[in-house]
Amino acid sequence: MSETIRFNFPAPVIDDSVDRLRKEVRAFLQAEIRNGGFQPVTDCWCSGIDPAFSRKLGQRGWLGVTWPKEYGGQELSALHRYVITEELLVAGAPVHAHWIADRQSGPLILATGTEEMKRTLLPRIAAGECFVALGLSEPESGSDLASVRTRAHKVEDGWELTGTKLWSSGAQICQYMTVLARTSERDDKKRHEGLTQFLVPLDSPGVSVRGIRDMSGVEHFNESHFENVFVPEDAVLGAVGAGWKQITSELALERSGPERLLSTFVVLEKAFLQAVATMSGHQAAVMGGMLARTRALRAMSLGVAALLEQGQYPEVEASLVKDLGTRFEQDIIERLREFWPIQLKQSFGDELHYLLADSLLRQPSFTLRGGTNEVLKGIIARGMGLR
Amino acid sequence: MEQTDQLILDTAQRLFADHCGADVVNAAESGVAPVRLLTALLEAGLPLAWVPENAGGVGGSLALGFNLIRQSAGFALAAPLAETLVANRVLAESGLEVAESWTVLVFDGGVLPMLAGGKISGLVESAPMHAGVTRLVVPVSDQGAIRIATFAPDDVEIDYRESLAGESRAQVQLSESVPLALSSAVDGMSEHGLMQFCALVRACQIAGAMEKMNELTVAYVKERQQFGRALGKFQAIQHKVADIAGESALANAAVEQAARELSEHSRPFSGSADTLLSIATAKVVASEAAGTVSRLAHQCHGAMGFSYEYPLQQYSRRIWSWREEYGSEFYWSERIGLAVADELKHSAPGQNDGRVWDIVSR
Ligand SMILES: Cc1cc2nc3c(=O)[nH]c(=O)nc-3n(C[C@H](O)[C@H](O)[C@H](O)COP(=O)(O)OP(=O)(O)OC[C@H]3O[C@@H](n4cnc5c(N)ncnc54)[C@H](O)[C@@H]3O)c2cc1C
Repeated sequence: MSETIRFNFPAPVIDDSVDRLRKEVRAFLQAEIRNGGFQPVTDCWCSGIDPAFSRKLGQRGWLGVTWPKEYGGQELSALHRYVITEELLVAGAPVHAHWIADRQSGPLILATGTEEMKRTLLPRIAAGECFVALGLSEPESGSDLASVRTRAHKVEDGWELTGTKLWSSGAQICQYMTVLARTSERDDKKRHEGLTQFLVPLDSPGVSVRGIRDMSGVEHFNESHFENVFVPEDAVLGAVGAGWKQITSELALERSGPERLLSTFVVLEKAFLQAVATMSGHQAAVMGGMLARTRALRAMSLGVAALLEQGQYPEVEASLVKDLGTRFEQDIIERLREFWPIQLKQSFGDELHYLLADSLLRQPSFTLRGGTNEVLKGIIARGMGLR
Repeated sequence: MEQTDQLILDTAQRLFADHCGADVVNAAESGVAPVRLLTALLEAGLPLAWVPENAGGVGGSLALGFNLIRQSAGFALAAPLAETLVANRVLAESGLEVAESWTVLVFDGGVLPMLAGGKISGLVESAPMHAGVTRLVVPVSDQGAIRIATFAPDDVEIDYRESLAGESRAQVQLSESVPLALSSAVDGMSEHGLMQFCALVRACQIAGAMEKMNELTVAYVKERQQFGRALGKFQAIQHKVADIAGESALANAAVEQAARELSEHSRPFSGSADTLLSIATAKVVASEAAGTVSRLAHQCHGAMGFSYEYPLQQYSRRIWSWREEYGSEFYWSERIGLAVADELKHSAPGQNDGRVWDIVSR
């Protein structure tokens, strides 16, 4: 780490095609809302599961947009994907079904999968017909992910997996899960070695998936058991033993996306509309301040996207975005309480109140999922040479 | 960045490092003028960096000026460079001759009206000032337009004050004062525009100072040992440092975006609605961060940071003043809120879905 600590966030190059795409997506979503295609929800990328809606997006060519055309993609830039996801988030569209596959599993398969996998799976993911869950956490492994106990034993022609994965979002509707498992004995001196990622079809014999109800009342995450589950040799993603390296770079890239600051923007939007007619100076200041922070966080998140496009690896910057952004998503709800007390779960037809209540019930998860904020701060501190 | 710009920044960096150490900053506050620094800055022509070549300046871009100001704040520069850059730029915009030496824009958010015969009366409550200024640059309003008047310090009553950091500020009283020079109406300049411009200058300064505070803190917690290890090995300290980095980075992102936008605007002093959101965002985020960063940086430094000799305080005191000047986070937040509400009120009924995002993401 150099002596001067300066974080720069270059401007992304937004050309006309990006702008056009944004407008197209926006118009589509507004029409969908008008036609009753969906009801806006808060934290939609985690709470809104609607495979039919995901298929609609796939049909429009809005999933897997950065992938090669031969695999069902559009060969567009990361920025094109960025604006699509932004528009989906702020509209509160039910996008959870495909979110992980589009953001993470698809690119992982593209980078590490076999040709066969790419040919058969990527076009289906891009069509919104194939969903993938993340099998990282376990009952005994959360932040300390390297301690996972799920084991994969080498057998003839493949591997046999045994273990339990916990909290996998959306697994109940997914056809596949990427499972992080131990493939060689744990060595306390090299605890990050001997881990491997597998792509496991969830209809394999020996797999059972059970939904877990969360505090907001939704069954969105799951516990999955793997009992001597056989997968063929080519289910290995990347190299045997290289799992840790793969998931850390995978996680680093998903940290700074717009879903780390916009999960509750739909609420702020509706609140603003409701307040306009009677807005006092004080309320304008409170709500204007939140718009300022949204804008600044967005500049930062786009800046990380631009750094990634330049081929850099801005791990610290990405962690800063997620730490600040997720806390801000919670702050929005806490601050809106001043004008809209959140007391009842039912809303008697008032959309804003319903969104506020639901946000409050979901907000503890914002600073946990995808690596807790404490873990992120550890990464930042290491980047600054303290660890 | 253009080549001239980089050259100027490199020169400045060298000058600041050579002539503006922490001891110079402290001494300047006790009244020992940093003569070598002031001379070196003038000799290098830095006060003219923001003046177009055809007006006798160096011709640096708008973006350069904001970078230079941010950089200077990272040294707690004991010279009115930012003030002079702004004042000279305003002079150049107005077609008046730029100042040879130090100068300030006598402006705290409101402009004085011009009286008949070109005389000017009124009170500017809190203007930046400096003992060495040779020219005062005063924006005045005349039939809805802005004109620029200049005065010698002796032509007006100056009641000297100090900012929290001991930087010179003053109450300036004009009593039917006759300007040395008076421009005609300046095209594309408004009171709001001056306010926006000055707010972005302060936001840049805050961002620059916070970078330095981040640096000082990281270096200190790596060095200082307690309980047999460096403070930076304690997780509680690591998390504070991460928070400092986050707030400082966020301010950088906002300031860079605003500077980019203003630089691309054809009329940077017009107070355009196009630049309001970005500049207000920069000042809000930087001013908010100023409180958080100074609290955390001081906590990490223990009593050492509270001592006068250790440089941290020169930065925390500066950002505490700068966050209030040209509109605090409260002021600019309200401006954003009202501006957005206003836009929504004026769009057709039923056309408001997604409008807030439309505005924020523009
Ligand atoms: C909504 C939601 C969706 C999720 N989806 C998935 C998914 O799809 N797939 C998946 O694999 N997982 C998923 N997770 C799990 C998530 O990744 C874990 O919650 C997270 O990694 C933290 O692990 P944990 O919950 O076991 O907490 P723990 O690791 O037990 O941590 C509890 C607390 O202790 C703190 N802590 C832990 N270690 C340290 C340390 N060294 N220093 C300081 N503090 C520490 C943590 O920051 C936290 O505050 C999801 C979680 C949520 C809430």
